Amino acid sequence: MGVIVGPRVIDAGASLFSVPISPVAVAAGFPSPAQDYFDGRIDLNAHLIKDITSTFVVRVTGDSMEGAGISDGDELIVNRALEPKDGSVVIAVLDGELTVKRLRITAAGVVLQAENPKYPDIRVSALSDLTVWGVATRCLHHV
Amino acid sequence: MSKPVLMRQMPQIAHVDVNCFYASAERAFDPSLEGRPLVVLSNNDGCAVTRSPEAKALGIPTGEPWFKLAPRAKEWGLVAKSSNYELYGDISARVMELLGRHSAWMEVYSIDEAFLGVKGEPEQLLALGRRIKDAVRRHVGVPVCVGIAPTKTLAKLCNKWAKNNPAFRGVCHWDGVPGPAREALLARLSVEEVWGIAGRLTRRLNLLGIFTVLDLLRADPVAIRDKFSVVLMRTVLELRGTPCIPMEEERIGRDQLIFSRSFSTPVTSVEGLRQVLGIYGQQASARLSKHGLQAKVLTAFAATSPFRQHEQAYPSVCVSLPMPTADPLLLTKAAHALLPHIRDGLRYAKAGLMLTDLRPTGNQPPLKPFENRHEERGIGPLLEDVSRRFGRGSIGLGHAGIKTGLDWTMKRDMRSPRYTTHWDELPLVRAA
Repeated sequence: MGVIVGPRVIDAGASLFSVPISPVAVAAGFPSPAQDYFDGRIDLNAHLIKDITSTFVVRVTGDSMEGAGISDGDELIVNRALEPKDGSVVIAVLDGELTVKRLRITAAGVVLQAENPKYPDIRVSALSDLTVWGVATRCLHHV
Repeated sequence: MSKPVLMRQMPQIAHVDVNCFYASAERAFDPSLEGRPLVVLSNNDGCAVTRSPEAKALGIPTGEPWFKLAPRAKEWGLVAKSSNYELYGDISARVMELLGRHSAWMEVYSIDEAFLGVKGEPEQLLALGRRIKDAVRRHVGVPVCVGIAPTKTLAKLCNKWAKNNPAFRGVCHWDGVPGPAREALLARLSVEEVWGIAGRLTRRLNLLGIFTVLDLLRADPVAIRDKFSVVLMRTVLELRGTPCIPMEEERIGRDQLIFSRSFSTPVTSVEGLRQVLGIYGQQASARLSKHGLQAKVLTAFAATSPFRQHEQAYPSVCVSLPMPTADPLLLTKAAHALLPHIRDGLRYAKAGLMLTDLRPTGNQPPLKPFENRHEERGIGPLLEDVSRRFGRGSIGLGHAGIKTGLDWTMKRDMRSPRYTTHWDELPLVRAA
């Protein structure tokens, strides 16, 4: 028993939430990866996670990133496979602890910045001296 | 991300495994453990099942009981962790999914190792090995070594060299090692380092003057068959570069049961895989019962057909079971968690279950495997319905219905958070 949606057959009994609400318009060309998860509802995994093998969720403790909209208790979606760039919000290893900071790579050097004037910058002599655990891609901020 | 290697020459085998898997999985989320001696303890915090290199350097033997180590832990700076199978299962699933992207043919051999079919020129294979190593480190955060060779036995040996000899930088390709160097390495390895050779067999081989891997390689395969077994003859042939160990499909190891099959014709629908996983769930249950074991964590995986130009997918999920169980309905239901990741229309050539966190059944007699008729009577959907409404563990069959199960009797005082499977145990990052 199947419901025909676009070119694929989706079995209506396949999962708990499998009743399709409305098929999306199918454009020619490369299919959207989100379609793979089409079950009629927005699937946050499909939209927020680029690569499941390298994506982790972490929880923030402390207020040093308030200026970036990241508050105490918020969750961050972190992709370990991304290359950290100037301006990235990174999870860096500092003194054996996972720490969230804004990464600045300039001609003057590499700096880990807090987004809160209460906390000083941390200078790193070279990017290679820094262990970046992952790059935050989203903040799940509690409003 | 690299493309799967083009199939041109004789296939080779890449053996990939995670260095000190459990310890590495712990370190991936707790950088303070880096560089410190670390042991991971078996169920009930019994004995050291995984030792970090620093712990090995202290002379801690594998299987050392914790009560013997505990008094000296402080003095050594030794850290012990209880087994965290939810974490290890999820990390394993991530590693395997990533490995599947590098080869069209993969055999998950255990929770932390896999064989991949690869092809290419020696330097391409070496480069592939390095890409695999870098990708796993970067994506998942655990270190792996890669051994590449014409046979599984040699691939495992190469992996050992890659691990123990820094010059290989974690990747060793048999064809890339010059003949004389190979012989020197083989002559230095004692025969029990070969895959499948242990204790008594080693002593019998030693009596025949076979002490090193090179001795075994040079032994007459027919004589070996007559004196020992066809299995050992295969090992000799494999050492000589003739592949003769086929894909294994079922294995019960120290702490895991792997159950997987390749299909004679691809399965192309969610419904088809639902059936397959149901059958595996029951068979795995029977296998567990036979060994008097229960499992707490289940990983289900599937892989698309390798020899087609179709789209590839290697979905896998890791499920923490509500209680240790060998119950076929529970196992099947857990295995069905893979179904939302299955896409109709893709050609799945293989699926499997991996059960970890195994423990003896204890005083409870194991349930006899259910037969299909239970499903037909609608018990499954009924259970599912009740659990959905009243919460997981609110209903179960037989002793599976005991809400707290037997898990609380397990001692896991030193378990790290289940960082990747429990929302209230996420890794904490400091914003200070």
